[in-house]
Amino acid sequence: MSRYRIAGRGRVDHGAPISFTFDGKTYPGLRGDTVASALLANGVHLMGRSFKYHRPRGAVTAGSEEPNALIGTSRGPGRFEPNTRATVQELRKGLVTESQNKWPRLSFDIGAINDRAYMLFSAGFYYKTFMWPKSFWDKVYEPFIRSAAGLGKSPTEADPDRYAARYLHTDLLIVGGGAAGIAAALVAAKSGARVVLVDENPELGGALLSDPGVTVEGQPAWAWLDASLAELRAHGVRLMTRTTAIGYYHQNFVGLCERLTDHLDTPPANAPRERMWRVRADQVVLAQGALEKPLVFDGNDRPGVMLAGAAQTYLNRYGVRVGDNPAVLTSHDSAWYAAFDLADAGSRIAAIIDTRSEIRADLLDAARQRGIRVLQGHTATGTKGRLRIASVRVNPLRGGTVGAGREIACDALLMSGGWTPSLHLFSHTKGSLAWDADSNTFLPDRKTEACQIAGAGRGLWGYAPVLADGVAAGLAAVAALSRSAGARQFAVANDRPGSGVSHTELPTDRSPGKAKAFVDFQNDVTAKDLRLAVREGMRSIEHVKRYTTNGMATDQGKMSNINGLMIAADALAKAPPQVGLTTFRPPYTPTSFGAFAGYLRGQTFQLTRKTPIDPWAEAQGAVFEPVAQWRRAWYFPKPGEDMHAAVARECLATRASVGIFDASTLGKIEVAGPDAVEFMNRMYTNPWTKLAPGRCRYGLLLGEDGFIRDDGVIGRLANDLFHVTTTTGGAARVLNMMEDYLQTEWPDLNVWLTSTTEQWATVALNGPNALAVLKPLVEGLDWDDFPHMSVAECTVAGLPARLFRLSFTGEVGFEVNVPARHGLALWTALMDAGKPHDICPYGTETMHVLRAEKGYIIVGQDTDGTVTPQDAGLDWAIGKAKPDFVGKRSLSRPDIVAGGRKQLVGLLTEDGSRLEEGAQIVLDPNQPLPMKMVGHVTSSYDSASLGHPIAMAVIEGGHDRMGEVVHVPMPDGVKRARITSTVFYDPSGDRLKA
Amino acid sequence: MTTQKHDFSAALQIEELAPSARLSLRVRPQHRAQLARALGLDLPVRIGDRTAADGREALCLGPDEWLILAPEASALTAAAAAIYATAPHSLTEISDREITLRLSGASVLDLLATGCPRDIAALAEGRGCRTVFDSATVTIWRDGPTAFRMDVWRSFLPHVRNLMALAEAELAAGL
Amino acid sequence: MLLIHCPYCEETLPELEFAYAGEAHIARPADPSALSDEEWRDFLFIRTNARGPHFERWRHIHGCAQFFNAVRDTVSDRFLMTYKAGAPRPDLSPKEDAE
Repeated sequence: MSRYRIAGRGRVDHGAPISFTFDGKTYPGLRGDTVASALLANGVHLMGRSFKYHRPRGAVTAGSEEPNALIGTSRGPGRFEPNTRATVQELRKGLVTESQNKWPRLSFDIGAINDRAYMLFSAGFYYKTFMWPKSFWDKVYEPFIRSAAGLGKSPTEADPDRYAARYLHTDLLIVGGGAAGIAAALVAAKSGARVVLVDENPELGGALLSDPGVTVEGQPAWAWLDASLAELRAHGVRLMTRTTAIGYYHQNFVGLCERLTDHLDTPPANAPRERMWRVRADQVVLAQGALEKPLVFDGNDRPGVMLAGAAQTYLNRYGVRVGDNPAVLTSHDSAWYAAFDLADAGSRIAAIIDTRSEIRADLLDAARQRGIRVLQGHTATGTKGRLRIASVRVNPLRGGTVGAGREIACDALLMSGGWTPSLHLFSHTKGSLAWDADSNTFLPDRKTEACQIAGAGRGLWGYAPVLADGVAAGLAAVAALSRSAGARQFAVANDRPGSGVSHTELPTDRSPGKAKAFVDFQNDVTAKDLRLAVREGMRSIEHVKRYTTNGMATDQGKMSNINGLMIAADALAKAPPQVGLTTFRPPYTPTSFGAFAGYLRGQTFQLTRKTPIDPWAEAQGAVFEPVAQWRRAWYFPKPGEDMHAAVARECLATRASVGIFDASTLGKIEVAGPDAVEFMNRMYTNPWTKLAPGRCRYGLLLGEDGFIRDDGVIGRLANDLFHVTTTTGGAARVLNMMEDYLQTEWPDLNVWLTSTTEQWATVALNGPNALAVLKPLVEGLDWDDFPHMSVAECTVAGLPARLFRLSFTGEVGFEVNVPARHGLALWTALMDAGKPHDICPYGTETMHVLRAEKGYIIVGQDTDGTVTPQDAGLDWAIGKAKPDFVGKRSLSRPDIVAGGRKQLVGLLTEDGSRLEEGAQIVLDPNQPLPMKMVGHVTSSYDSASLGHPIAMAVIEGGHDRMGEVVHVPMPDGVKRARITSTVFYDPSGDRLKA
Repeated sequence: MTTQKHDFSAALQIEELAPSARLSLRVRPQHRAQLARALGLDLPVRIGDRTAADGREALCLGPDEWLILAPEASALTAAAAAIYATAPHSLTEISDREITLRLSGASVLDLLATGCPRDIAALAEGRGCRTVFDSATVTIWRDGPTAFRMDVWRSFLPHVRNLMALAEAELAAGL
Repeated sequence: MLLIHCPYCEETLPELEFAYAGEAHIARPADPSALSDEEWRDFLFIRTNARGPHFERWRHIHGCAQFFNAVRDTVSDRFLMTYKAGAPRPDLSPKEDAE
């Protein structure tokens, strides 16, 4: 039995011991413990070092708001997690934990020198100290700060765990499974509505788990909880524990992070560690309760100083006394009950020190009955103890003056500065807050979402009013769902009502400038820092926050925001509501990257589209590249070949005999209907009326701004039917653009669009022997009427096909489209037929080289959204006689017809070197800096066919600069390059006519 | 080609169905009835409604768009072509564009909820919808309380199947 | 993630099924060649950038595929209404005599 554990007490399983390690030492614990409760049961309060001063720290809370007790946890290789809150992490078999921010060990830490240099490390320290000299920043200041900073250690290995995601739709989501949430669920469950009740803790019950002495409906609290949860289950309410509502977004969209395995000794195979729920609820009830505030006084961060409510939780939920003789320091009634519970459990309460001079008579009676010394109207002005509190210094307050101090020995100090409603989720919705002067706190005010706020979350205290409020919230939600349910009343006995007062720093008789009175424990922000920030000119609470970092730690100021505001407001001599609260943002508690990523990692990181021929390419050892959402074969290296060699071989083979290429990713759109040709005339720059069925034409698509959007070869299959192809990346965009015009500008046209990209697998054959390979496989085609730029329906290798005769290489070329299920069969048939001609499969890189040798553009590579047809040298593709087409009017805009536009040209380097794509171009390399850049290289390749590299570029006024030399700065020096035509290979086009 | 994997098939079955003819019909409302007669199939007007007759099925996907399933396409295209002059339309064969999965079993709604932001549980039996699963457009047909078909564009299928495999393993783990 | 009511499907559905499509009620001129450079510039580039109710277009791209119009408050990011393409711009001014 651990020293501070009470046999049989609490909700832990005393029959199920579990051991775990902390900083290498093994400790006993119980099933149901958190790391913090188990360490406390063993008398260990020192759990970590603080971030900035490396001060020794212990758990100050018993929940997810914990700022101090951050630990590293691990479960084998790759499963190390830093900054886990010891107050949340449940014990499991074999759990290994370690403290953070300490070196060489937790009890003796070198970095604690920062603590002695406290006077130097005040607010804005970094901003002031490291300003000068500027040259010191990179080499001195930043490395120093980086080595000193950081919260825990980052894991170094990939996370081997799985993470999951799920959408959930419900009528009512209740956040918070305490008294108010359960009461709301109990009434709503009977309305027939779908109800989800979530809580971040392992158990539902909230504060009732820490108040077993309360009686509800004649039953002890825990019995009532069991009965209530059974009733909820019977009504089909979905109860979710270990599930944190991390963010509350528009229209009742709430993100929940469910922790599934961190508490399990041995998780089931393939079980996800966490699951992100994306919940859409018609109604939301926020019943998140309230968070206890610390008191701000010198030494309030010493291990052993913790919130009174936390001590009560450790006692009643975990059966752990946090000390043998704890003192209680409070400005709120609630801490008195913690003292009574601990006294009843065998601790000797050193004193109850209350800042108030007037105390409720029943509390005084109860203290007197237990023989507890009570110090009314007292302040605390310091604590002592190296790694654990040993005493607290208290002083009487009389008429605004602080009397003489005296030490009270204690081994724990339970503090309470009152309670602040948990407003985080409500604030995510941009709901407004109202200052409540009575309780000195903000309460939820105007709502923006269909939600109710119930219980301590809106400032109520005591179980009777909280339960009644939960009922009211549940009924309101049910009514908003247009359902009905009966009201309920929950009789409460032994209730624990309470009220209190609020403070800035506690009054002291010592120099406040020397006090280490912490407001934000995690970021080591003191009251002095906040006042300094105001003195130095910060007026907005947002500036005070950023200057001091108050509330900017991973706990997002759950404990510090209100205290920080009170102190800043006092320093500014303003009322707190005039100063206002900083913004709470999601997530409510730190959330793993894995939970956000969900399934979208590794193989499923991103949608990857594959063609029907992809399996063949993979089997051949193709190297792939991503193109839009597709993965495409980039090149097909033979053993020993690098990319350069493979591409050179593929290019030469295609030009020498025949190459085969998977073009299935090309976008395809079927344009059908009586007005198809009219539609094509309006969309594309080219004229379509006279294109005969059975012929095809290069089509150019502009935006209304006159810039090139897409291109592709378009075949007219019948008077009313076009087979449009688009670029691989443009397919969805082009269809969207066409649908837009059709639906919203020209709804009168009788024409319809169908995406057939995936209906067809497309295989391109190019080269002087392409015809010889293809011809024997084709049936049902009149070859005498099938010149270059033709299309026909026929069969290829016995498969129904749409056959195009076209070329993107300058060689005789064909594109064979067959129903996608036959794509691989077609490919195989063509490979077989091509064997006598040494047919060569080639990938996208060779395709790029071959087209660049011919000066064919790639939209998106040689164009960038600011290139007109004229700029690209594509004037010939414009149907000048057409009255209108998309983008036509823009081609006469002043900016478009003005001289000096960047125009597409060819570039050949004088030294035969290859330019980098994206390289900038200047006319005069000797001009003063900054030089005027006149364009950039858009495409650049080694051309095996030509024996030297080629490039395309956009250059200002390029079409009028043929033959001129420009200069291209490259890593190995400035290259001279001559402007040429973009057609490098077979400029006469003779090879197409072969 | 029916593929069936894993041994917990009672909770979840994912099968790839053999291809059948699939066509996209686009026609203006005033010609809908004519097309319906020609195709021998009522064409419902409410988006998401379905009809079936003689092994043919129609699902209304948009105000002028129907997805037609049939054992074979040519009879339908011929019948439609015959009335094209008086009832202009587009009837495009897309049999190979999508691959259809049959999804069934007690966990099927959980499976769909891993990727579909829409409330699929609210989709009535006998109805259908075009929606999104993760980042892939899919068409979902609800055939029974725990029986669905999902048409997935062919190239998106590996991604969708990979995601479903993760979800299957997760559902089998039981957490 | 917003919820958007599709006026064609007559269902309120997650934003992930939809795609934004720019400001609404900007009709392409019937004869662009008749427009001055300034008028054409305004058609191409000038938008209201409203603070408050904004008339805009969306497409139910993963659904019925229809473009439609919406009024969304750019301050609250709430949809005030959606309506079919081609329908007139709704009058948002407060009614004198509420029924």
